[in-house]
Amino acid sequence: MASSLDRLAFRTKILTNHLLPTSQTAPPLLPSPCLNYTPPDLSDPSQFDTRHMRALLDGHNLADRDWLFGLITQSKLFCPRERGVGRVFVGPDYNQSMEQQREMTMRRIEYLLERGVFEGWVTGKGPEAELRKLALLEVVGMFDHGLSIKLGVHFFLWGGAIQFFGTKHHHEKWLRDTENYVVKGCFAMTELGHGSNVRGIETVTTYDSSTGEFVINTPCESAQKYWIGGAANHATHTVVFSQLNIDGNNHGVHAFIAQIRDANGNICPNIRIADCGHKIGLNGVDNGRIWFDNVRIPRDNLLNSVADVSPDGQYLSAIKNPDQRFAAFMAPLTSGRVTIAVSAIYSSKIGLAIAIRYSLSRRAFSVTPNGPEVLLLDYPSHQRRLLPLLAKTYAMSFAANYLKTLFVTRTPESNKTIHVVSSAFKATLTWHNMRTLQECREACGGQGLKTENRVGNLKGEFDVQSTFEGDNNVLMQQVSKALLAEYIAAKKRNRAFKGLGLEHMNKSCPVIPSQLTSSTLRSIEFQTDIFCLRERDLLSRFAAEVSAHEAQGQSKEYAFILSYQLAEDLGKAFSDRAIFQTFIEAEAALSSGPLKDILGLVRIMYALISLEEDSSFLRYGYLSPDNAAAVRKEVAKLCSELRPHALALVSSFGIPAAFLSPIAYNWIEANSWSSVQH
Amino acid sequence: MEPINSSDGGADQVLVEEHSHVKKVVLNRPKQLNALSFQMVNRLLELVLACEGDCSVKLIILKGEGRAFSAGGDVAAVVRDISEGNWKAGAKYFRIEYIMNYVMATYNKPQVSILNGIVMGGGAGASIHGRFRVATEKSVFAMPETALGLFPDVGASYFLPRLPGFFGEYLSLTGTRLDGAEMLACGLATHFVPEARLSLLEEALCNANSSDPDIISAIIDEFSQQPRLKEKSVYHLLDIINNYFSRRTVEEIILALEREAVNTNDSWISSTIKSLKAASPTSLKITLRSIREGRLQGVGQCLISEYRMVCHVVQGKLSKDFMEGCRAILLDKDKNPKWIPSKLELVSDEMVDQYFSKLDDEDWEDLKLPTRSNLPLHVIAKL
Repeated sequence: MASSLDRLAFRTKILTNHLLPTSQTAPPLLPSPCLNYTPPDLSDPSQFDTRHMRALLDGHNLADRDWLFGLITQSKLFCPRERGVGRVFVGPDYNQSMEQQREMTMRRIEYLLERGVFEGWVTGKGPEAELRKLALLEVVGMFDHGLSIKLGVHFFLWGGAIQFFGTKHHHEKWLRDTENYVVKGCFAMTELGHGSNVRGIETVTTYDSSTGEFVINTPCESAQKYWIGGAANHATHTVVFSQLNIDGNNHGVHAFIAQIRDANGNICPNIRIADCGHKIGLNGVDNGRIWFDNVRIPRDNLLNSVADVSPDGQYLSAIKNPDQRFAAFMAPLTSGRVTIAVSAIYSSKIGLAIAIRYSLSRRAFSVTPNGPEVLLLDYPSHQRRLLPLLAKTYAMSFAANYLKTLFVTRTPESNKTIHVVSSAFKATLTWHNMRTLQECREACGGQGLKTENRVGNLKGEFDVQSTFEGDNNVLMQQVSKALLAEYIAAKKRNRAFKGLGLEHMNKSCPVIPSQLTSSTLRSIEFQTDIFCLRERDLLSRFAAEVSAHEAQGQSKEYAFILSYQLAEDLGKAFSDRAIFQTFIEAEAALSSGPLKDILGLVRIMYALISLEEDSSFLRYGYLSPDNAAAVRKEVAKLCSELRPHALALVSSFGIPAAFLSPIAYNWIEANSWSSVQH
Repeated sequence: MEPINSSDGGADQVLVEEHSHVKKVVLNRPKQLNALSFQMVNRLLELVLACEGDCSVKLIILKGEGRAFSAGGDVAAVVRDISEGNWKAGAKYFRIEYIMNYVMATYNKPQVSILNGIVMGGGAGASIHGRFRVATEKSVFAMPETALGLFPDVGASYFLPRLPGFFGEYLSLTGTRLDGAEMLACGLATHFVPEARLSLLEEALCNANSSDPDIISAIIDEFSQQPRLKEKSVYHLLDIINNYFSRRTVEEIILALEREAVNTNDSWISSTIKSLKAASPTSLKITLRSIREGRLQGVGQCLISEYRMVCHVVQGKLSKDFMEGCRAILLDKDKNPKWIPSKLELVSDEMVDQYFSKLDDEDWEDLKLPTRSNLPLHVIAKL
């Protein structure tokens, strides 16, 4: 071992190794004078029950998750590869061509289908079935985001559209076949010219009462359906979103079922399909473009839960208001935002588990002459880079669980809350994920660049999350808009705030002590107060600015657009406060003990890092410069307090070793000459 | 705590032969098929720890006297303790045994186990974790715990799920027996040596004077054969086994088998269903959970979980199936255990969860594994 050698001899030996050319018959490299991998698992024992922590974080269906992890590790289809002695990692082969990756995605789906993974995904009912489906989708996403997206399109978008927009005969005709992949569905909403603004899409469907058919048409190039997952290679059917035009009257956006391929995979007449081409990620998903050339479909193919057309061409809708009718069509997108928000957090967990495990085995530079090199995570600066992101990931994990619960127990009354919370969390959690991955990539140094080490690659695979199912910026504006509407309603009618966690607005304005001590900073009361203070103050500022613009003669819409800076600050304030609330609820549910203590520490870190990072606390004076300095000092202290728990905190993510990467384990052995020869 | 009773004194239950660089350890309780008594696991643990620190020992050979390597743990003694109200003595037995399993799994010298005969339960735990496992034409392997109201422990939740496909689920739930050729095929054994050549093999190993696994492996290779799987071997059925035993729950596994049984007259299907129906429903469910969790965990974590489970089993608060199983299979031998709950659907997920939680008992604590150092590469990958 290096420690037993005298330093001089050690250097000499290394220099000799450098200088003397090694012949081809040289003996295998000996570990002695070189670095040795020391597994952090032996030196950093957990001081809390990681099994219990995992149950808190995953929240539900743990045994089902483990079952699916096992289905993946036990099959050759998931490309198991041994790196080093005895360590096997799974993951798609990203070195395959786009076409090969897409075929592998489909073969993996067939395998999972055979094993019964999708049982109840469409036909199951109730929160229990939905939570199981979500848990399994999360596990799939940890293997490959593309695979989960491909499933999401088929089950959540295509299947969801039939469930939500269709009626009994659609359900009977399509749901069972969807669950068994007899049909492969896709979801044609976005067009080249219209993404977030769905109401502006240009595809037109007319009704021909002489034949009882709808006729779908792509009138111009900007109306081509774009980014349609599944369309380029595999999908046999699609839900088409289109303007419905009857006798020259436009009734707005409606959804129809159209077949685009026959059972043998041949493209149907009057359908043209092209590929979206190679992408920066998700190349295992076959995104395509579709043109409809007066495609005729039976009248029955209108998904008619919201509105119907009688055989003689009468337009019938229970919802008279076109705005509300449109909102009803947007409902299935909520499930997408829920799954995106959740999967973003699992991606962050992978990144952090890898980067933190690496930082507990990789050393760089000595701080004393001839002293041993220092572990990366023993540098306070490295702690500051990773541990706050770890705390945020914990917080957002609880937020994601809350969002899932909200979603699976939804009622018509909770629709607004779900819309606002899912928008805020989808944007916040996916932004957090991208930032976390970038930091983790850099924290892994050069090793982070290797695809096999996952972190860098995940950036490309997950980048799209800030765009699809609602652009993050647009979603955050909608959050602020919804808060403003609550505010105006409350002030106008002089009634109390209720819902969206805004009840704190009914109390008197919290007062922040002028001098913040360490113990104040760490208290739940202070943290709650300052998050609430920021939200209520920004909301009233935002309302004031919008109405000032309106007073100057601007339209309501334009006044809102002009107030974008406050809108952004407010959206963030809402999101941070809502996330914090889910954290303290999770913490409050625990009985006292080591688990609660460590979670408390993580929560303090989440609160204080949020205070440190968001300039609005200083900008609007919620924190004085002195107090901001106190927060910063406390964050550094917290880093060192969390350091001993770092390994246990990432172990609690419950991600099997096979789903991490070589640098998370014995990276020296994984890169040894002998492993090259295998 | 009271020491565990044993019918004999126990001093000669483990024999040690010293060779120049080899410690040959013989399990010597042939009348009980070398069932591991408390004294034996204690002695084995002592021995392996002592050899680890003794640089003159380069290799350990472990074998059994008589027609068994080892038929398992000394369950009869544990049952006696439990029935005398001393479940903690039972827990102590398992604690020492699991620590021994852990030390063997993380050992820095090669252990060669000669599996010439029965190797079941605790016997598997004392051998499969080691570097080399030599099967013979006399080998009979099984993890039969679910029929006893127990579950495959001794680190089986680490090594069984790492067998190909879902063979581990199959072996652990049904208790199916394997012969030497099957053990080699699925990876439980690393070599197959005909019984007739064993003494020559041992002699060669004693002369090896090496700890290098490549050298040891090459020596065993010289005496090895590639046995043919018998025509009716279950290992030929791996694809079929994967299809059934990859199902999500025990109920779904049995349902899928029963659906098939309607269409065919396959003897494998019917005997598999029969084994599953005979086993304790609680055991089946906690076993499946344990195997599937274990697939994703390191060997230490597996043993810690198993220790929680086994303590719940011997404590007897959640279920008394273990006592009942031992009564019906080992003591009264009526082979007609009355399991409670009697049906799979009566064993809820919450009941299964409880087996994996800490015990609610003042002086109970989680299994504490000894600190290990100087680990070889293949051991680091087990952590």
